Amino acid sequence: MDVNAQLIEHMMEPKNYGAMPQSDAQGIGKNPENGEKVAIYLKMGNDDGEIYIEDIRFQAIGCTTTVVAGSMITEEAKELSIRGARNLIEATFRILTKVPPEDAACSEMVALALKAALDTYEKRVDDPDFPPITYQIDNTCTPKEGEEI
Amino acid sequence: MKELSIKVHEAWLATLMAGFMSKGSNKQKLVNFSDIIFRHFTWVEAEMVAAGVSYDYDREMIPIKVASLGVMLQNIINRLSQIAQELDSVSGDLAHRISHDLKYITFVLSNMRDEEVTAFDANRELDGIELNDAARDALTLFLFEESYKEYELIMIYNYLKANSKDAYVNRIFQILIDESFFHLKSFGDMMAKMGILAVPRMISREVYQIEDIQAFFYAGIDEELAAKEECRKLSEAVSANSPELAKFFDFINNQENYHIALMKDALAYWEKGTND
Repeated sequence: MDVNAQLIEHMMEPKNYGAMPQSDAQGIGKNPENGEKVAIYLKMGNDDGEIYIEDIRFQAIGCTTTVVAGSMITEEAKELSIRGARNLIEATFRILTKVPPEDAACSEMVALALKAALDTYEKRVDDPDFPPITYQIDNTCTPKEGEEI
Repeated sequence: MKELSIKVHEAWLATLMAGFMSKGSNKQKLVNFSDIIFRHFTWVEAEMVAAGVSYDYDREMIPIKVASLGVMLQNIINRLSQIAQELDSVSGDLAHRISHDLKYITFVLSNMRDEEVTAFDANRELDGIELNDAARDALTLFLFEESYKEYELIMIYNYLKANSKDAYVNRIFQILIDESFFHLKSFGDMMAKMGILAVPRMISREVYQIEDIQAFFYAGIDEELAAKEECRKLSEAVSANSPELAKFFDFINNQENYHIALMKDALAYWEKGTND
């Protein structure tokens, strides 16, 4: 990862990090290879009938890159409508097809956690007790063989 | 008691961070005070365990970006004052002990000389050592990654120790806590010098509320091996420009062997106990 000022800012003060005890929905993105995971919590608002993300939090069991991705994606997702958030997820997946799998894995985990949280929210419209959904990533974050600094 | 524990946890980290920020005579006092407040944290935790109180290590974010140390000191004094107001939730003896410490710490903090803080200027230079961009980036990532890891290990071993009455494994846990404290303090000082000081993020409950301790030890040994490899790479990357920094990472690398030996010892002891 090239370290620039923006990334350092997210590493020093990850945005939206932490739990949300009174969330409306939770979703999990998981790497089945190493047990790393991201949980996203949503508090939804209603603006004249349009449901939007009023507040968002995330927690990660993972590396610094995952935390940076969580900080950036949750910041982008805040105040988006459900449709807007789904567009953000799709755009993220499209960008990730152009980067090596080991670099894509962390961001994919965050985007999948957001998708899982939105899907959980929509399921809860009919079933308030619907459990948090977990999605697993396709990419692997196994480091490249022989990679040196 | 749970609320008190959160406040003490946050005050410990705030004081430790202030120690990293300081470049003068305040530094050692602040780091020592943070050690005392961490012990308060373990004592409160011990009372929670004894009383059967369900607890976790959740806490709020701790803002530390200040331009002068005095602002941070006042923030810590406010935190200590809040702790003092919550002390009636623990036993009288413990409340008295903590209260006495806090009064002295508050007195010293109130009289500390102010300092300009440069721990957040992202200069990314370390002791005048010239690093190429790749080495500087690698060192930056390493410090963020490993400072969190060391905090995580302190909290994991502390939780395991607080919830175990086995003297043999608790001795091992305490050594590992002490080792991680040394690493955290070393990395924190480096981060402050490079202007990238940050409070380690909150750890998720499932990281320390461990259900399968054998799996935890096996994974921990693998992580220590990975950390050794990172230290080796960093040592190689900086050796041309700073033999001293290279030796530091070789030293940390070698310490991981000791941690691995301790974890294997604890694992063997645990497996023997479960098989007997």
